[in-house]
Amino acid sequence: MSLTGTEQVFGAIHESALNDMIRAFFDARPRYRRFGSPVFVPATTVTATQMGAIPFPGTGGIEWLVTFSIPVIDLFEQTTPLPPPLTLGPGQFSLRTTVGICIDCAARRDDRQASVAAGQGRAAANHVVCTALDVFGIGHLDSWHNSNGDGAVRLRVDTVELVDVTPDSLETLLECLLKMVLDAALSQMELPLPALRAGAFELIVVRGPDIADDRIKVAGNL
Amino acid sequence: MAEIIAAVDEGGANTLLGDAIQTIGTQSKSGSGSLGPFTASYNLTGHFTNGTVDLIAPGTVRIDQLRFDWNVDLSFQIDLNSFLPHFCLPQVCVDIPCVGTVCTPKICVSWPTITVPVSFGDFVEATADFGIDVSLNGGNWKVQIVVQNVSQLQFGPGTAGILALIGAAITPILLAIPFIGPFLAIAVDTILLAIGIAGVTGFLGPIISPFISGLKIPVYNQAKHFQVLPAAGPNDPAVFVELDAVTAGIQHSDEDELVLSVDISP
Repeated sequence: MSLTGTEQVFGAIHESALNDMIRAFFDARPRYRRFGSPVFVPATTVTATQMGAIPFPGTGGIEWLVTFSIPVIDLFEQTTPLPPPLTLGPGQFSLRTTVGICIDCAARRDDRQASVAAGQGRAAANHVVCTALDVFGIGHLDSWHNSNGDGAVRLRVDTVELVDVTPDSLETLLECLLKMVLDAALSQMELPLPALRAGAFELIVVRGPDIADDRIKVAGNL
Repeated sequence: MAEIIAAVDEGGANTLLGDAIQTIGTQSKSGSGSLGPFTASYNLTGHFTNGTVDLIAPGTVRIDQLRFDWNVDLSFQIDLNSFLPHFCLPQVCVDIPCVGTVCTPKICVSWPTITVPVSFGDFVEATADFGIDVSLNGGNWKVQIVVQNVSQLQFGPGTAGILALIGAAITPILLAIPFIGPFLAIAVDTILLAIGIAGVTGFLGPIISPFISGLKIPVYNQAKHFQVLPAAGPNDPAVFVELDAVTAGIQHSDEDELVLSVDISP
């Protein structure tokens, strides 16, 4: 069976190369996997993205930090074991990462001056509490392309699974939270279709991009 | 296992290589040579147009009817001394009384060289077998197909007309020569007839052949330090990967495909 099939041009990237590309992205732009409020991230730079503290009355804002390790992607067919109930289906990818969550566990004092100070925000963390969670997820490709041969793919996270978190309601809550965080963070990484075939042979997409045989495949015509 | 694969089938290769051939641009060459007893300086320009691509596993790209459209500006030089006998008026001496012997100088007639410009254009076709060359030079991976063998050049049907064109350009000039012009014209036309198409192709072939035998058609050209994403602001620098290895070949299955394989690292 030919690679191009009924089209003229075919391109495919193996999951190992995709992971290389993802690593290159996050090495060059680590701010896309490190988000935090001003106490943790004083300003948005290449290394971190600053976001607001979580407003809550009387706290002056809950300072937070979310980081995650560079995710490892496994394209269908399944290569990496997944915790139940996750299974990798056709057209899907799985990811494995470790998410770190920190908050500044600031103590609230009784005197008014301290409350006023808290209301004005903090310059430095008082008592940082962190946790790290191994996260497995399942997702799909989101892509666009046009008649000029331009196009890109994004990784969208559909399901996240945490292991051994109790009670179940806490696990469910964290899974939902982490799904939203990972999906939002990863979907900002938009990989151009020409880059996925190392710049070879321009094509106007007819078929794909699809996940199959441990690769992202695309086919089209010149 | 290759990490990135890009493949193009024969139909796509026709388009791809056709576009690549167009980018080669105009070729030119100047010089001089002999066409029979005549000397001709030439300035030949030409460009390649498309052929028909046949991919042959494991590593041959055959382009059938690879066409080179050419135009040549010829400047023919006809040395009439080659046709007309040399003759001299001998020295004549006369004894004159009281003066002595007086001699005339020896006078030799030197026939001129006639220069005749002729412009002509046609095409030539050949079947060329290309090998696939992969190289890393100056930080760039380059894949190109390089001519290995070329069939005999097939000149277009118009090429035979070049002799008639030369004859038409020369004859009026020769006819203008008093007394012997018609004889010269007949002599030159006879010589052109003797040169024939074989002589013309023998003259043009060595000029045009190097264009085809040295032909390299680019297929892939990318920096080893390959840019995945351009910079998008002060906090979003460009993203690069390294293209560690590039290979290329022809794969045969239910159709023939030109396949590039690229290994990368972050």
